[in-house]
Amino acid sequence: MDAPFYKFGLFGDNASLLVAFVIGLGFGFFLERGGFGSGNKLARQFYFRDMAVLKVMFTAIVTAMLGVFWLSRVGFMDLSQVYLVPTHLGPQVLGGLVLGLGFVVGGYCPGTSIVAAATGRVDAMVYMAGMFAGMVMVGFAMPAMDGFLSSGDYGQVTLAKQWNVSYGVLVTLVVFMAVAAFLASEWAEVKTGSRELTSQPLLGMKGLTRSRGLMLAFIGVGVVAATAGSPYRGHDVRVNEKELGQMVSRQADHVTVDDLAGRLIAGTNVPRLIDLREPGEFGRYHLPGAENVPMATLASAQWRADESVLLYSGSDAHAEQAWLMLKARRLPQVYTVEGGLDAWNDRVLFPRLTENPAPGEVDAQKRKVAVSKHFGGTPRGGAAPGEVKDAAMSLPPPPPAEVPAGGDAAPKKKAKKEGC
Amino acid sequence: MLELSSNRHNPGIDPALHAWGWEIPVYLFLGGMVAGLLVLGGFHILKGRNDPHAEAYPWAPMLGVVLLSAGMGTLFLDLSHKLYVWRLYLTFQPTSPMSWGAWILLLVYPALLLAALLHPPETVPFGDAVLARAKVWSRWLRMRPRLVQAIGAANLLGGVSLGIYTGILLGSLGARPLWNSAILGPLFLFSGLSTAAAALHLLSMLSKRQVKGQFGDALLGGFFKLLDPKAGGEAMLRADTSFLTIELGIMALWLLGLLTATSVHREAAALLLSGDYAPAFWALVIITGILTPLFIQTAELSGKIRHTAAPAVLVIIGGFALRWILVSAGQTSHW
Repeated sequence: MDAPFYKFGLFGDNASLLVAFVIGLGFGFFLERGGFGSGNKLARQFYFRDMAVLKVMFTAIVTAMLGVFWLSRVGFMDLSQVYLVPTHLGPQVLGGLVLGLGFVVGGYCPGTSIVAAATGRVDAMVYMAGMFAGMVMVGFAMPAMDGFLSSGDYGQVTLAKQWNVSYGVLVTLVVFMAVAAFLASEWAEVKTGSRELTSQPLLGMKGLTRSRGLMLAFIGVGVVAATAGSPYRGHDVRVNEKELGQMVSRQADHVTVDDLAGRLIAGTNVPRLIDLREPGEFGRYHLPGAENVPMATLASAQWRADESVLLYSGSDAHAEQAWLMLKARRLPQVYTVEGGLDAWNDRVLFPRLTENPAPGEVDAQKRKVAVSKHFGGTPRGGAAPGEVKDAAMSLPPPPPAEVPAGGDAAPKKKAKKEGC
Repeated sequence: MLELSSNRHNPGIDPALHAWGWEIPVYLFLGGMVAGLLVLGGFHILKGRNDPHAEAYPWAPMLGVVLLSAGMGTLFLDLSHKLYVWRLYLTFQPTSPMSWGAWILLLVYPALLLAALLHPPETVPFGDAVLARAKVWSRWLRMRPRLVQAIGAANLLGGVSLGIYTGILLGSLGARPLWNSAILGPLFLFSGLSTAAAALHLLSMLSKRQVKGQFGDALLGGFFKLLDPKAGGEAMLRADTSFLTIELGIMALWLLGLLTATSVHREAAALLLSGDYAPAFWALVIITGILTPLFIQTAELSGKIRHTAAPAVLVIIGGFALRWILVSAGQTSHW
């Protein structure tokens, strides 16, 4: 099972709405139970008298962060599929200030105002009405603000990339920051006289309260993260542009279908054949001896360092992209089949024969027919014996997995080739 | 090339017949709630000859009259030929649910008005003269116990007929497989009962609000003080809990019936269970409208949490959503 579930198609659009509803229900319930439905409690935060908001938010952030990090690290979750809001510095600073101002004045942030309104608080309902009125106004003012809102685009920035530290180290730093904030807020609450530290000791250990136990757990899980490696799947790779460019210009990156047909018939010098199409297409027809490795799974396929790999797909594009990916993994001998299966069908399985071949071409023509027959195809046009003119191009059934060892056409063809 | 499209590729074969807009679901909702008010009121009249709590909801029949008029107003808006509405009352077609509906709606009015006359409110903000005359009639009525019982029975029967009829109106349309089930009658009746109990509960909760001088509270409290029901909302809470449970059971039976019928009916049920209407159906009807209020009400009745108006509001939202979704999804379902 892969998370995020929706991105991996575990459920569709309709179910996702329902999931969102249930999550929202739980979110609202716990916000209310956390005391966030009270504007007074929220406002006490700003006087350092009741730090519940800060503690709840930091607990949520740290819990989610550790969960996301470790679930990704063990491979349950694909972090690259999680959407990151792009950074627009100016607009976001201004938006944060507006939100903070509204929070201080009104005593609610958007989510808590809805929770409070649902519990019947008239002030929250008025706050919500103001919020929606503001949204409508912003909507109308949008064209005028467009330039400002898209200014300062930094793209998807993460602190880890920005500071060039690993995600694990960042996780540890955030955990320490949260724990420091916890301790500071407990201190502030005692200092302002609004709270006495009278929590029950945990596991019979004096001084170890439940919240401190939680902090210790956070620290434990967070510190290990620093050495745990990257939570992202896949690898960042480097390519040698010059080397690849030269290979392409020397045409050393591909083989032609005729060359491939010859090697398959001879049964010698056949590289590992990789079919990059989807399993359904692979099942309908594939080259003799080919393995099916769809593009999506290419990154996780295993290769020997010295093996030579021949990639093909329907046409050229996917094979060339896969070629780049495998070259980036330092495989020395990777090639594509030029033109892919389209070219294979056109030139090997169903070759076009000329009506009256010139004397010099007769042998070549005969060879084409033999090769086509060998792979179960039908030549088109011409006067080859025993074939229908413009026959429907019906693909032969998929060949057996192994390369046919020495069919009856192979030795004949070989001989002819030598004769030429 | 001349091509004859002889199957469903022809858009004329399977027209998207969304002939019903907002009017019908609003009417079904209001009609259902009025049916519930009638049944609850009639039951109280029949039961409570000597029961002081019988006078619990003097405004319930009046509320019924207002809602019924609003509902009939939406029906009128839905008519294509509004000037010919009187023709419905020149005939009675026993095989037509429309005809039944037209007559039931008409006959329910006197039953509601008589029930209102049985328990006139103590005071009204204006029209003291009318109230005085009504009280004379009220005394006259209440001296005749058999007549009171007849009024109670008329309310009860009228309510059950109206509630079932709103479901049968949809259920008799064979062209719409989602609706094509007689069990929609009881389903709409019990949904109507639950919304009516919720409405009365809501009124009793709001009227109990203390006027504390705060702006919003003063506004609401001052208004609802006029309603002044005498009993608390607990009876309605209990009633609502049973109605919701029964409604849930009937809904399960209805969907099971569809799921075990032809593939056409299975597809129709899938519209609600997993198709385009599923998010709204599950979220609004099942979770918001039935399960959450059941949960809250059970906790309230067992004294675990404070009584609030919240479950009543949720039940009313759910009842409305049921009609709205059913009318839209039904018009999408086809053979």
